[in-house]
Amino acid sequence: MTGGYTGKILRIDLTTKAVSTIDTAKYEQYGGGHGIGSAIFWDLCKDKTIKAFDPANVLTIMTSPLSGTLAPAVAGRTELQGIGAQGYPVEWFTRSNFGGRFSGHLKYAGWDGVVIEGKSDKPVWIDIRNEKVEIVSADGIWGLDTTEAQEEIWRRVEGSQVGDWNALGSARDGGRTTQRPAVLTMGHAGETMSRMAALLHDSGNGAGQGAFGAVFGSKNLKAISVLGTGGVTIADPKALMDARMWSMQYAVAGHEKDFIPAGIGSMFAANPGSGAKAYGPSEQPAVPMGCLGCHKDCRVRWKSGASNGSSCVDYFFYNSYDAAKHGGKQTQAILDSTEMLQRAGLNSFQMEGAILWLNALNKLGIVGPGKQLDTDLPFDQLGESSFVKALIDKIVNKKDIGADLHEGLALAAVKWGRYDEDTKSGILPLQTWNYPQHYDARTEVEWGYGSLLGDRDINEHDFNTLVFWSPSIAALSGVQPPITAEELSAIMAEKLSPYNDPMMMDYSDEGIYSEAMAKLVAWHRHYTRFYKQSLAYCDWAWSDLYNQYGPKGRGMTGEGEPKFFNAVTGKKLTFAEGMEIGRKIWNLDRAIWILQGRTRDMEVFTDYNYDVGAVPGFTTYEMPYVMPVNENGVWSYKSVAGRKLDRQKVEDWKTLFFKLEGWDVKTGWPTRATLSELGLGFVADELEKQKKLGS
Amino acid sequence: MTDKEPKQVSRREFVTTIGGVGVGAVLGGGLLRGYFLPDQVLAIPASKGYLLVDTKKCAGCASCMLACSLVHTGETNLSLSRIQIVNDPFGAFPSGVTQEQCRQCPFPACVEACPTGALHADATNGNVRTVDPAKCIGCERCIGACPFSPARVQWNPEEKHAQKCDLCANAPHWSQKGGVGGKQACVEVCPMHAIAFTKDIPLQNGDEGYQINLRKGSVVWAAIGMPLGDDGEYTLAPGALPIGG
Repeated sequence: MTGGYTGKILRIDLTTKAVSTIDTAKYEQYGGGHGIGSAIFWDLCKDKTIKAFDPANVLTIMTSPLSGTLAPAVAGRTELQGIGAQGYPVEWFTRSNFGGRFSGHLKYAGWDGVVIEGKSDKPVWIDIRNEKVEIVSADGIWGLDTTEAQEEIWRRVEGSQVGDWNALGSARDGGRTTQRPAVLTMGHAGETMSRMAALLHDSGNGAGQGAFGAVFGSKNLKAISVLGTGGVTIADPKALMDARMWSMQYAVAGHEKDFIPAGIGSMFAANPGSGAKAYGPSEQPAVPMGCLGCHKDCRVRWKSGASNGSSCVDYFFYNSYDAAKHGGKQTQAILDSTEMLQRAGLNSFQMEGAILWLNALNKLGIVGPGKQLDTDLPFDQLGESSFVKALIDKIVNKKDIGADLHEGLALAAVKWGRYDEDTKSGILPLQTWNYPQHYDARTEVEWGYGSLLGDRDINEHDFNTLVFWSPSIAALSGVQPPITAEELSAIMAEKLSPYNDPMMMDYSDEGIYSEAMAKLVAWHRHYTRFYKQSLAYCDWAWSDLYNQYGPKGRGMTGEGEPKFFNAVTGKKLTFAEGMEIGRKIWNLDRAIWILQGRTRDMEVFTDYNYDVGAVPGFTTYEMPYVMPVNENGVWSYKSVAGRKLDRQKVEDWKTLFFKLEGWDVKTGWPTRATLSELGLGFVADELEKQKKLGS
Repeated sequence: MTDKEPKQVSRREFVTTIGGVGVGAVLGGGLLRGYFLPDQVLAIPASKGYLLVDTKKCAGCASCMLACSLVHTGETNLSLSRIQIVNDPFGAFPSGVTQEQCRQCPFPACVEACPTGALHADATNGNVRTVDPAKCIGCERCIGACPFSPARVQWNPEEKHAQKCDLCANAPHWSQKGGVGGKQACVEVCPMHAIAFTKDIPLQNGDEGYQINLRKGSVVWAAIGMPLGDDGEYTLAPGALPIGG
């Protein structure tokens, strides 16, 4: 018996208000999540050159077979795809995702996902209670912020029954629950269709990038609510429970007595609350807060109740200014600022870039009262929550410079005639496609390359803690990193199949342009497309390559991912088979971007990546860059601070990468041979018809 | 204890002073032979196991609910979990999330309400209060009788009978031994270690006996910077250390 899947995907046409179903079986070969989303998008969005706000844009909100189960750091994640409104100069078909419990409730309600097409004539929300689906007027909800909207929907669906057994329907066996509905909603930013608009679920779970909040706004869709009382069929329940307890040996949870404190190494074995506690006031009591079924619980619930469930850049967009203003300490100001960001439903990465840029322009005398870019934004209050309040108000309500920032950083810079200049100096740190720098393309190249050849900031930390944070913090603190560069390369050679090349860890000045680095980027794209975006294994715990509790530091990757998938579904997937499905999905996505107009010559970083040496300041949180290098056959960790990318060498590296992937090196377009090998002959047919097939 | 004139005791007095000895031992005589107890006190023997929780440690992940339903029914289903986590994601610490476990009440209203004996204290499993599905007629009086909200007895709409926490005495989809002499899935799986098992009857005065501090004494909890105090506050000076306390 195949477990994990419900067998049905909900399909909603907001124009006609038609509600129908799609058989999951048609798309099951793609695994779940992203794979199924891309395949459905391919089928249902006939003209892939349409814009994000076109009613024909197809949004997919997909679970995985592991959603709602006991697999660790996976059960609560939901994958969201469609043509995003953030990409520049092209609104790429893109993805976002979010944690919490939404995907669990979709499964409990009997759905493997939701597909949204069309545009409603009036503002609506979608009310899903098990099999019952209604498109309801959003009167009294449109206009509310993300917190208020959810609370209002909870009132409408559960009334006074929250916390008590609430029957769905009047039949005795119609299902009962004590749980609140799981709601995904936009805030004011989405209602005004800002290209910085995010979607929020519960507290702090954000689909931040891609401007899907604006896409919801363009469809007159305020929110989707789902409440389910069913369960997920598990093929081998004992195996799932055993697997869960096995994995706890790789986590803090399994080591109460022999806990290894701190250290930056394994994400799976990192501390509960570590995504948030250190970024707020240290004296404010809190408790870890986690997604459905998660063992790590990386966020926190604060005593002030502000910014519950937020993490990482939800704080980083502003926490350094809070500290600078308040004697080096974090205060309530950062919690309140993040709370406002979440309620408005704004992309914290765009906000981080915005404040870095505006602050720089203010210091240059270009932005401010009576300046060339005239604004009364109170720069003297930078570091207080009042500054954030004012900035959010301007962006969401299109006031003075906010009217331009509303369109996202790239279009604002174009409007101001500053795009070329400010991305050349880097004071506007847009790395690719209107996505602010997350990690540095000049140093941690697998991040930059993956973002460049894809659709967005990859936001996949599989190597980040091991190749950047761990050696850099060690260098700063004088402490030894948990493993040597040589040991790191040995672990990766074992784990990164099918390439298994230790040189994939070489971030030297030669290594970053090598075929081994092409293998690393390819591995990363394939692994994440399947295991993390289709099966929904959380980026904040998986992959588990190095783990301080594992035998000789080896983490669970290779064994862990198939173990949970097979226990739930009853299938016998191997790790290698999953990697191949990932390669298939990656090629399908590549084809979609090509149909949207992607060419090789567009795939160029912004100028600062080539012209300015890598130093901290392009984000609020990076530190100087110590990375693993292999020089003359010897491994070490070495500083690569100050490095710039060489334009021609990047082009030559792209050629190596395209060759490795079986794409036409002139164009970066997949060939028929590659696509057919992957079972994507139909994709080759369409590309050929459009004269965009690689040869 | 010596043989004395028999004396009347109230239910409350009896339970809170006897502590973990259990009703069974009293009936068996021995040490406490001197007490003469009112008839209505001793119908149902006390459970030999109880779940205790720390809501200031609960992350709201509901892993306990997933594990409970998994080991009992083979599916992960929040509505079939015998422990319920009620979570307001916007609620401020230390409120916002509650852990609603069955209390294995010494005086179980659910057992008393059942007209068929389906809901009973299982003598072969440490007197845990549990449902015999074969005898359940679906009247749901047990659900209505539970004095707690949400009721600790659930309706199982798939198998059509009541069900409740049995301390994993009957958890067929688990490779571990459950019950009062074994393990409980929720205790084992909770990643925050916010659920504990005890053989001692908790104080029956409000929530105090069933909600305890599982944070103090935890090296992990202090190391991750979380408060250890009974009231959810830091026990050391605020911000004194970069770690919890």
